[in-house]
Amino acid sequence: MTARKSGSRLETEIERCRSESQWDKIPELVRQLSAKLISNDDLGELLLGECKLQTYLKENPIKQGASPRGPQPKLVEVRKHLTAALDRGNLKADYLQEASVLMAKLCYVEGEHRDALGSHYSKVNLDDMQLLGAPVYRLSMIAEAYATKGLCLEKVPAASPSLSNKNTEREQEIITCYEKSGDIALLYLQEAEKVTSGIQNRSPKPGPTAQDLELGYFLETGLQRAHVIHFKNGNLTRGVGRFREILRAVENRTTQSLRMTIARQLAEILLRGMCEQSYWSPLEDPPTVSPLDDPTRQGHTHSKNYTLSRRPRVYSGENLFCPQENTEEALLLLLISESMANRDAVLSRIPEHNNDRIISLQSASVVYDLLTIALGRRGQYEMLSECLERAMKFAFEEFHLWYQLALSLMAAGKSARAVKVLKECIRLKPDDPTIPLLAVKLCIGPLHWLDEGDCFAKMVIDMGEKAAEFRAKGYLAIGLVYSLKATDASLRSTQEEYQRKALGAFQRAQSLSPTDHLAAFYLALQLAVSRQIPEALGYVRQALQLQGDDVHSLHLLALLLSAQKHYHDALNIIEMALSEYPENFNLLYTKVKLESMCRGPEEALLTCKHMLQIWKSFYNLTNPSDSGRGSSLLDRAIADRRQLNAMTLPDFSDPETGSVHATSIAASRVEQALSEVASSLQSSAPKQGPMHPWMTLAQIWLHAAEVYTSMSKPAEASACTQEAANLFPTSHNVLYMRGQIAELRGNMDDAKRWYEEALSINPTHVKTMQRLGLILHQLQRYSLSEKVLRDAVQVNSTAHDVWNSLGEVLQAQGNAAAATECFLTALELEASSPILPFTIIPRAL
Amino acid sequence: MLAMDQGVVEEWLSEFKTLPDSAVSNYAASLRDKGALVPALYKVIRENYSDLLEPVCHQLFEFYRSGEPQLQRFTLQFLPELLWSLLSVSAARDPHTSGCIEALLLGIYNLEIVDKDGQSKILSFTVPSLSKPSVYHEPSAIGSIALTEGALANHGLSRVVYSGPHLQRETFTAQNRFEVLTFLLLCYNAALSYMTSTSLQSLCQLSSRVCICGYPRQQMRRYKGISTRLTVTSEFLVQLITGIHYALCNGEVELGSKALDDVLYRAQLELFPEALLVGNAIKSSLHGAALKSNNKEGARSIQVEITPTSSRISRNAVTSLSIRGHRWKRHDAVDLGSPDELMDISEVDEGVWPGGVGPDMTPPTITISNSVTTLNLGAKAMKKCRLGGRTSKDKDKEAGPLTTGRANSENIELSIKRLTLTSSQSVPKAGALTSLTRTASAVFSRSFEQVASGNAPPSSNHTSSEAARYSCSLQEEGLGYLSPAPNHTQRSPSISVHLGSDL
Repeated sequence: MTARKSGSRLETEIERCRSESQWDKIPELVRQLSAKLISNDDLGELLLGECKLQTYLKENPIKQGASPRGPQPKLVEVRKHLTAALDRGNLKADYLQEASVLMAKLCYVEGEHRDALGSHYSKVNLDDMQLLGAPVYRLSMIAEAYATKGLCLEKVPAASPSLSNKNTEREQEIITCYEKSGDIALLYLQEAEKVTSGIQNRSPKPGPTAQDLELGYFLETGLQRAHVIHFKNGNLTRGVGRFREILRAVENRTTQSLRMTIARQLAEILLRGMCEQSYWSPLEDPPTVSPLDDPTRQGHTHSKNYTLSRRPRVYSGENLFCPQENTEEALLLLLISESMANRDAVLSRIPEHNNDRIISLQSASVVYDLLTIALGRRGQYEMLSECLERAMKFAFEEFHLWYQLALSLMAAGKSARAVKVLKECIRLKPDDPTIPLLAVKLCIGPLHWLDEGDCFAKMVIDMGEKAAEFRAKGYLAIGLVYSLKATDASLRSTQEEYQRKALGAFQRAQSLSPTDHLAAFYLALQLAVSRQIPEALGYVRQALQLQGDDVHSLHLLALLLSAQKHYHDALNIIEMALSEYPENFNLLYTKVKLESMCRGPEEALLTCKHMLQIWKSFYNLTNPSDSGRGSSLLDRAIADRRQLNAMTLPDFSDPETGSVHATSIAASRVEQALSEVASSLQSSAPKQGPMHPWMTLAQIWLHAAEVYTSMSKPAEASACTQEAANLFPTSHNVLYMRGQIAELRGNMDDAKRWYEEALSINPTHVKTMQRLGLILHQLQRYSLSEKVLRDAVQVNSTAHDVWNSLGEVLQAQGNAAAATECFLTALELEASSPILPFTIIPRAL
Repeated sequence: MLAMDQGVVEEWLSEFKTLPDSAVSNYAASLRDKGALVPALYKVIRENYSDLLEPVCHQLFEFYRSGEPQLQRFTLQFLPELLWSLLSVSAARDPHTSGCIEALLLGIYNLEIVDKDGQSKILSFTVPSLSKPSVYHEPSAIGSIALTEGALANHGLSRVVYSGPHLQRETFTAQNRFEVLTFLLLCYNAALSYMTSTSLQSLCQLSSRVCICGYPRQQMRRYKGISTRLTVTSEFLVQLITGIHYALCNGEVELGSKALDDVLYRAQLELFPEALLVGNAIKSSLHGAALKSNNKEGARSIQVEITPTSSRISRNAVTSLSIRGHRWKRHDAVDLGSPDELMDISEVDEGVWPGGVGPDMTPPTITISNSVTTLNLGAKAMKKCRLGGRTSKDKDKEAGPLTTGRANSENIELSIKRLTLTSSQSVPKAGALTSLTRTASAVFSRSFEQVASGNAPPSSNHTSSEAARYSCSLQEEGLGYLSPAPNHTQRSPSISVHLGSDL
């Protein structure tokens, strides 16, 4: 009894050693085994043969693509053992199969492929080897056997090369061998891990465990050769199917690296070789005819034609996410790869790990590039910027990763961070003019960081000839910075200084790049702002010649015509522009103004109504924030509406402020914050936050109110103002309009109060200052009135009505000489005054 | 145009009209066999003034409207050529000639933006999340996912709209032109696998021309067509890039890489981050993969090889994973009190602990009492006392701060301490820890935390809880407890000093 018991214990021990590849322990165990029973000798031979063969392969691993080695002296003994085991025929059937399979493997190693096929695989039917209840080591053995058979079949030329039918049949046989080998290999790895994790406890310890299984040549080939053949044959459908089968099998430690590679490769195929229409989901059957497959090759099969009694476990459960679209699947695969690549990020920077670091960086950057392609296609820049942020642990001194992060932040609307990252990019690649230009674009646009913008623009200019085509852009950028600084400046001398500089820069840009309509356009705009109307007209015509349908050039042309008092021509231009840009509110505001001038307020009111209709159809339906997270912009805006009450209305068509004005700093701060939050707007749309539609709506109401006041209809005007006030109760524009209505009603005290309130919100609102000055004048508080008006002139020296009011006040005070001068200035300015300030045209790079 | 081509086109125009509905799908399949037809149609589209253009456009629209996928794809294959025709004509300000092309493109657009019931179509997709199980993974195996705002917002799967709803358009205006064209390219890209190589080539040419016309690069490419600049939008370029990417990987290496370069060139000039982002990514991802599809016409450059399955990264390299598994010796359960105390303790550790630590040493209370005395006595006095135990090197280090006021020296000292502590992290090993090393390592782990800002895992392992218990008992034992003098000779001077100051 004791002998048998210890005998079975011995067997268990042998099985364990074989499963765990502890070949060095086998000879000792065989010695013990032989001591038990003589009939064990054959088994002993088998075991010794196996252990020597495996040890040999461990010491001399076969490389992929290596040529066969021929007879090896070290393997002579192996052959002897195995022949002994086979020849006596005393072995149990299982062991006999094992011996044959091992013999075949030996033959393959020695390059005797034909022998392996003819004398060994012909004897064992691999399909007869039981998978059910097989010990772990045997699963591995069967998987290797299939792989070896496939390898031998590939090496031995087909019997009759003439028959193409036979050839495809043989090819199919080879593929089936590999596929079976791969399936069983996956099963083996899962089982093997179950055994080892059963011994240790089932905690997912990331630290190094006792031993990781190594696959070796045969299993590696079995797992991968099938899809390699599929792709080589141009059978993408089947290759993708095979990839998916491997990936659906529950992962284990040994397959992680393989899974990462395959997941990435499948993602590549999904992104590079498939489209929405040719896609099929992993749980669907592939289409019978697919454009993905090479049409010149016949006889493709699309599904596998074998079954196994045991299959590797696949991910299962309720509510499993299954991708329904190629981008979805690519994204899922890439996120999985990314998490693995990220885990393998080599952090140490000592020179010995240089190679490892490069490998980990490369495998990660491929994944991040593919993620960028997938998410960029779908406009998901917000998510992309978060992914790329995770790549930063690889990014030390890696320009590509930094640059991509900067671009993704920019695309996601996270401007402030983008500028910071761009700074690092400039450090890493100081010669590239694009990078500082991108930074200027953000500084001028959403951030309004003019001093930083100045620095970045100078970098481009300092590059000189090296910047090539970007040099003109550099001058354009710095011109815009100066132009915006001029608008912001509160001192007249600084204003003029910046205007002069801006003009110089635009001229330089224009001479460097005479075919760029933007250079001509901004030059014209700057000339217009400095009231050089005829010169401005010349350049705007030039801009329009270069780019006939540029909306801003057309708008500027109309304003210039209105400055020359050609109101009808201006209106014609606006109408022409509107036929190309029917939904451009800036043009429509100007149209309202021109219409009430030329055609009377009724027409203007119709335009206001039309604007409301456009607004409704536009924002009800369109979802300009591409990644609206499912809800329409309107819904989101309504959700945001609660916060609106606390905000001022930073309007872009406010006469004094232009796009953003530093003095309405609170407003622009709010806007800054919003543009960082509302990070998902498309770039072509102006980068305003989700407030944008509401600001537009308030703007429309205020314009309507203005038309009504000009018609002396205070009730209607008041109603319109109320609509705007519902959206932005503390906007200085709303308060200003209330003051106007009060004035219209003859209620001067109320009007004064409203104007004062408006000024307390925006102390540099010139129109309010002018009205307040007038009221103070009427109340005969001349010196205060003079003070207010002088302040207004400081802020905007081109406001002719302010000069006029100032003249009146001075006259009332008896200062006739100064008054005359003011009137003359007013007269002169009025002659070149546009219907709306030129600065309503946005200035952006 | 050759008469033969004309004949082919005219035949094609007539045969569809007489086709019964039942024969449409067979007819669609048979179009593939008409070899001369497609080139002839390209010619018609390219020659803007051809009489055939209008009937051809009409017929192409009929094909699209039929709803038969194969017929729709037949029409779609001409899309790049049609787009170029439209854009070049509108750039040349010659409006009347492109009327029928405009009508065809708007027709396709208006068909595609609505679903079968006439409702506005919204194209959306699901953003996969690793926190939800999928056919390819299990969340538990992925490990921790960084809790970013976005990750929380995306917890679970979210459906995201990437295109639509779109407005019906009656005419092309400067404002809507690229919106419509971008959407049309999106439709084209959805059927890329079905497009012929001629169509892909035409797409690459379209991309190059749109991007370089009117720019200095036009001379380089020797393209002599229109020379006015065409306005583009970033989204339009991204859609072009998507198509170019497919062409690049499916046989059109030369034209494709040229087109990609041109689009990137333009994106740089226009400062479009989106197009730069995707274009750079494609360039960089193809950089390594050699495109070797020139050998065979139409060959796909998707090549897969057997790769080694073992990790290529050597095991002793510090990776994110290994550092995650690393157990920092943290014993922050010791109540360290005020930062002053904390610093003093670390000072003791620094100069005085040069060699190995015997496991049997028990000087814990010494440090605690030490820190208490620091508070009781003047700090300067304390330091002078301790100086006795220091090496001369340490004296040099301390000389400056000592003479100045304590408050001034604090920060400098603390930073020095941290440095030395980092180097002495190997001191606490296991088992019976001395409180000195324990507190020191607590300081270390805290300072590490500050540096690594929470990269280390929460200290829920059993060693730290043990330490916590240990330290608690120490505190209960109180300050009065003094251990026997340690047997480590090197250390003794400093300890005697401490004792003296305490008494």
